[in-house]
Amino acid sequence: MTEAPLFLNDHQRYTLQAAMERVMPADDDPGATDAGTVIWLDRYLSGTGYIHAKPDGSGFLNLGPREAAVWLGRIDRLRAVYAAGLSDLDLRSSSQYGHEFSRLAPGQQDEILRQVEQAEATPSAAESDASAQRAAKRANENSFDEDTAPFFQLLVAHTRQAFYSDPVYGGNRDRVGWKTIGFPGPMSLADTQANRYTTEAYFADGTDLDVENS
Amino acid sequence: MSAPKPDSTGFCIIGGGASGATAAKLLTEAGHRIVLLERGPWRAFSDFSSDELANINRHYLTPDPKISPRTVRHTSEEEAERGEFAPTPYLVGGGTTHWAGWVPRMLASDFRQRSLHGEIGGASLVDWPISYDELEPYYSQVEWALGVSGAAGANKFESHRSRPYPLPPLPSTRYSRRFTRGCDGLGWNSFPMPTAQLSAPYRGRPATVQSAFVNFIGDPSGTRSGVLATFIPDALATGRLDLRPNSYVRELAVDARGRIRAAVYEDADGHLVEQEADTFILACNAIESARLLLMSASPRFPDGLANDNGLVGRYLTAHEYTEALGVFDDELLYPWAGGGFITSATYQFYQTDYARGFIGGGLIAAGSAGIGLPANWTLPGHPRWGAAAKNFDREYFNRGMSAGIVLNDLPQEANRVDLDPTVKDAWGLPVARVTHQAHPNDIAQANFLVDRCADILEAAGASKVWRNYISELTGNSRHQHGTLRMGDDPSSSVVDRWCQAHSVPGLVVVDGSTFPTPGGVNPTLTIMANAWRVIDHLLSASA
Repeated sequence: MTEAPLFLNDHQRYTLQAAMERVMPADDDPGATDAGTVIWLDRYLSGTGYIHAKPDGSGFLNLGPREAAVWLGRIDRLRAVYAAGLSDLDLRSSSQYGHEFSRLAPGQQDEILRQVEQAEATPSAAESDASAQRAAKRANENSFDEDTAPFFQLLVAHTRQAFYSDPVYGGNRDRVGWKTIGFPGPMSLADTQANRYTTEAYFADGTDLDVENS
Repeated sequence: MSAPKPDSTGFCIIGGGASGATAAKLLTEAGHRIVLLERGPWRAFSDFSSDELANINRHYLTPDPKISPRTVRHTSEEEAERGEFAPTPYLVGGGTTHWAGWVPRMLASDFRQRSLHGEIGGASLVDWPISYDELEPYYSQVEWALGVSGAAGANKFESHRSRPYPLPPLPSTRYSRRFTRGCDGLGWNSFPMPTAQLSAPYRGRPATVQSAFVNFIGDPSGTRSGVLATFIPDALATGRLDLRPNSYVRELAVDARGRIRAAVYEDADGHLVEQEADTFILACNAIESARLLLMSASPRFPDGLANDNGLVGRYLTAHEYTEALGVFDDELLYPWAGGGFITSATYQFYQTDYARGFIGGGLIAAGSAGIGLPANWTLPGHPRWGAAAKNFDREYFNRGMSAGIVLNDLPQEANRVDLDPTVKDAWGLPVARVTHQAHPNDIAQANFLVDRCADILEAAGASKVWRNYISELTGNSRHQHGTLRMGDDPSSSVVDRWCQAHSVPGLVVVDGSTFPTPGGVNPTLTIMANAWRVIDHLLSASA
């Protein structure tokens, strides 16, 4: 971490970093740790100071009072879900492998995460069929409701958002997420305002489809 | 709290989106001083950027459901749950701040569904009180005012048009080319999607910048042809538009004679303000316009303004977007190029063929697979996490595309907007409750069209194809119509052929809520053309 922590304590940061790295592992391309996804999440959980980047990328917008109140409520829930979820990872790790989560081997960490994923996938009896169906549909679409999602869904969605969203939010450092998948994102948000960002080079250029070899 | 009462005005428009801005342009250019009340902020282009996270995931553009919720249920027997049905931005510019700019026309048959098909069980199918030919000149007006890029005559199913498009089509994307190849292989007509973006400089505006961040993302360049870049500046240039953002109308207050006395709105400081006018022009989109009338109950109209016959809010139609998805091993498609929706389309399955077992049909067009941007893209079978997910991202991010549909759904009396009895928004006002159950015709049509989408992708050489069949309507197209039905008979409609409320003098509706049937295409062009027609009439009647 190259940035002073804002909200998460050291233990939470190490645990999250380990878990996020399993969600988006480094291989020939950088992974979650390289991209700074924990910084992204630490900022997000720290309050209303990092919700919407200024459109020119020079910092973050101040929220209006109505928005700020709603975001504080939303973030309060996220904090509680993360705190409980990270404790649960350690509890499962200690009881099964005798160490806290961040000290397990990657394969062991994957096993713990799979257990949590499966526990969340089983709808509780209290859930109506309709809402279970809707939740299943959302999971299918890889989209999710941030205001109701449980821990592992949040962890996965936030890791992906951090890895792949604009670097101004603290993840996708040096645009490593975009480079990994071949997305020519803008050099900065300011570039998109100054009309220096275009994808016209990626339009069809009249080349014959049949002889093209990508 | 209340603020000093502003001067009365001739025309007060409520809602600053596609239809409200059309009305504002025409009225001000005709010499009228007007007031436009918009509940949301008035953003400059410099308030937007290519920020996927803020726009798509953090409610920067569309309403935060914790501030402006809606509730949804299938039938009146169910308890409605909080949900997002057809959310559109609350901003000056409205839905045209989040659109890709598809502006295809409806067909002549869309205005005559009852005459063509008779009674359809479970549906309330009616003709429009106007014909395509009455609307046609206004389609051309809007196309030329916005500077639509397209190829007249390329859509062989299109009804008569009096003028070509003002600009040639936008350059082709790879996913569009792939779609065209699929249609060609099947012997089906396809055409470049007419789009409210500039393929060349037009009337002092530069050609549109082809960003990847377009659909559901505000435009920092100001080069897309939403009303924020076109009709709002046109109206402001007259010096006669008093545009008041952050002005949330909560009631149209009625006097003892049943005339609207004032629009009562809460301004940015929380003050209640009463704006009087001779004529009120409602332009909040179908769900919110119905909601505002229902919130405006009075002794004369105990069930809501203009609601003597109980039809305000009924006959909600919402299209539905669904698709077939394909991946292509032999080409990088760059499905985010131009935002993912610079594309080709076909009307091959728009017209009714009774042999299919359902009536109607709709547009099919190519696009990215959902939000085709890094943080939100996905395809069926996408592993959720770990090395498998990352490999999938690398393998398919640039290789997936959709062929998607606009469902031409049937109006039904039970499908409606009313006021939720318990859920309130952040201002303490009752929210819109959507009750919607699909008609069997909707499902049959949608899933037939999905199969045709799959045919196109397969004919285009997809290495794998998925079909997203539907079983309900979710409001995911954001399109909304029908809640203030237009018709000649006051007992079966809310507004007349000039979109003047039957029972309330001085109340005109210009948004899509007046559509008796929704057609099978994106509605904004038709909404704007109809608004133009209605205001043209209002001006000639008052001249």
